[in-house]
Amino acid sequence: MKHKLLPLSETMHYILLALREPLHGYAVMQEIEKISNGAVILAAGTLYGAIENLSKHGWIEPVGNSGRRKIYRITAEGTAILRMEQERLTHILSLYEGSESNEEV
Amino acid sequence: MKKFKVFFNIEREEQWLNEQLQKGYRCTNISGLGIYTFQKTDKKYVMRLDYQDYLPKKKLEDYKGIYEDFGWIYINDSWLGGIRYWQKEEDDQNEIFSDRQSKANYYKRLMSYSFWLGMLCLAFSYRPYENSGLYHEGLWSMKGSLLLKAFLFETPFVLLKLAPALLVVFFGISFYKFYRKYSILKEK
Repeated sequence: MKHKLLPLSETMHYILLALREPLHGYAVMQEIEKISNGAVILAAGTLYGAIENLSKHGWIEPVGNSGRRKIYRITAEGTAILRMEQERLTHILSLYEGSESNEEV
Repeated sequence: MKKFKVFFNIEREEQWLNEQLQKGYRCTNISGLGIYTFQKTDKKYVMRLDYQDYLPKKKLEDYKGIYEDFGWIYINDSWLGGIRYWQKEEDDQNEIFSDRQSKANYYKRLMSYSFWLGMLCLAFSYRPYENSGLYHEGLWSMKGSLLLKAFLFETPFVLLKLAPALLVVFFGISFYKFYRKYSILKEK
């Protein structure tokens, strides 16, 4: 059966992408605001829950502290998940591009 | 200003608190016994309620740390329930949940809370060795004003006996309400 977090939600997707660099929670939110061009602004409870959830599944892990803040980073397993999602999305994108030649769809 | 109020519904409590804040107050303390302390302020505040089970010290620090980075201030929670009260000055980011998944998970936490409290009450309302009626057996053979007096005297005790069963019904209804909201959010 498919993992319960797959396909990745927009929130989870952006967090995993942002955590290819080690960041603490609030910096994750700021980074996501930047890389989504301001379209995705995470709220505190959503970010907390997502970090908990991703850590529980071993897709991200704490790698140190900056003051009282915990710094997280994506794990090898998390990277593998991103690669799978990339393949899935690339395939969907290819369908978008091929839609003109596949009229019967 | 202190106000006394008892809530059995987390969303109604949140709504009521925000109504007070809209009148130009900020909340400074909430005691588990239903005493809410407010202070007059010229700024606008908003309050959001989260539900989290007991969190060990380390986790509580992580939890509070993230909210505080976003500008939320922790109002001490009641020692009984796991409601976490968050307050901040109103701006363009006034929510604690920004997607359906996290809001659905919030209702899921409330569902399991209602479920377990309901189960606990069910265990308390189960009395295998007590097959007598709710009222004292001799009561119904009394007459006139004596019956009335005895009846009124015993009624509070009967309600007390029934309390766990009534609470089972209450938590059952709460569970169903949270489940409805949860399943609406889960539908895509």
